[in-house]
Amino acid sequence: MAEGAQLASGLRRGTLEFCVLAMVEFEDRYGTEIVRRLAEEQTLAATEGTIYPLLSRLRRGGMLDSKWAESPSGPPRRYYSLTPAGRSALEHFRTEWVSFRQTVDRLVGTGEIA
Amino acid sequence: MKPNQPDLVGEYLHEIDLRLSGLPLLQRRELLADLAAHIATERTERNVQTEEQLIEILERLGSPEVVAAAAYEEAGAPRMAASVPPPGPYVPPAAYPPPFATVPPDAQQPFGAQQPFGVSSPPAPAKPARGAKTGLVLVVVLGIVGFLIFICGFLALARGGEQAPQPAEATVAPAAPAAPSPATPPSAR
Repeated sequence: MAEGAQLASGLRRGTLEFCVLAMVEFEDRYGTEIVRRLAEEQTLAATEGTIYPLLSRLRRGGMLDSKWAESPSGPPRRYYSLTPAGRSALEHFRTEWVSFRQTVDRLVGTGEIA
Repeated sequence: MKPNQPDLVGEYLHEIDLRLSGLPLLQRRELLADLAAHIATERTERNVQTEEQLIEILERLGSPEVVAAAAYEEAGAPRMAASVPPPGPYVPPAAYPPPFATVPPDAQQPFGAQQPFGVSSPPAPAKPARGAKTGLVLVVVLGIVGFLIFICGFLALARGGEQAPQPAEATVAPAAPAAPSPATPPSAR
């Protein structure tokens, strides 16, 4: 159990932020929306409350912009959008990730069964 | 149920706030505002009626310990993973790190260069403490040095005034080691 959690957190580190960036690639989304969506993914095993500090770091790092807006029903929402820097970071990650994944697959033996 | 509900959320946020004392004020406020907005949104969108449902929302958010630990980790990570080589020397905060140790000097730089938000805050709490410490050390050292100078002066005065034969001994002693040193090097080289 503990080992499984440790593995998940290790894999999450360095990849989850790009899942966040990809979520706002085409449309702005508000915090709760992003958090819910990511927490739904069992594999990621991301606790909802830990995603807000991540959003904060991405914003401070210039990857995301945010603005508060009134919602038609209920409390104000904080909407996040991708900045040009965030967009290029996401593009860069996509190319890196493919070769990274292929290398790990090759070394660990999780690639094509041959 | 009614009297408990507002307390529950307030207590939860307070428990988190208590654990964030090492973070810059604005980052702290931001996180608490985000969490409060999240809880409020969930409450209305899921039409929360009972305390059990509210507890469920808080449980999904995570325990105050887990949320605060994530806040420290994200505050300590210098930059985006994409723009930086793998963070080899990065030391993850084991428990709750001492407030001033969380922000390594190199972590302040990138934040400062990019956005003013919560930038000057990290070094701010560190400086007074450090300044006070070095100030104290300086005062002590200066005191000791001053005292030594005073003693030396006093001794010199006392010597000069009372003991006339002393200087004679002093001039002989340095002359002895000075003599062999010029003699040996020329013969050796």
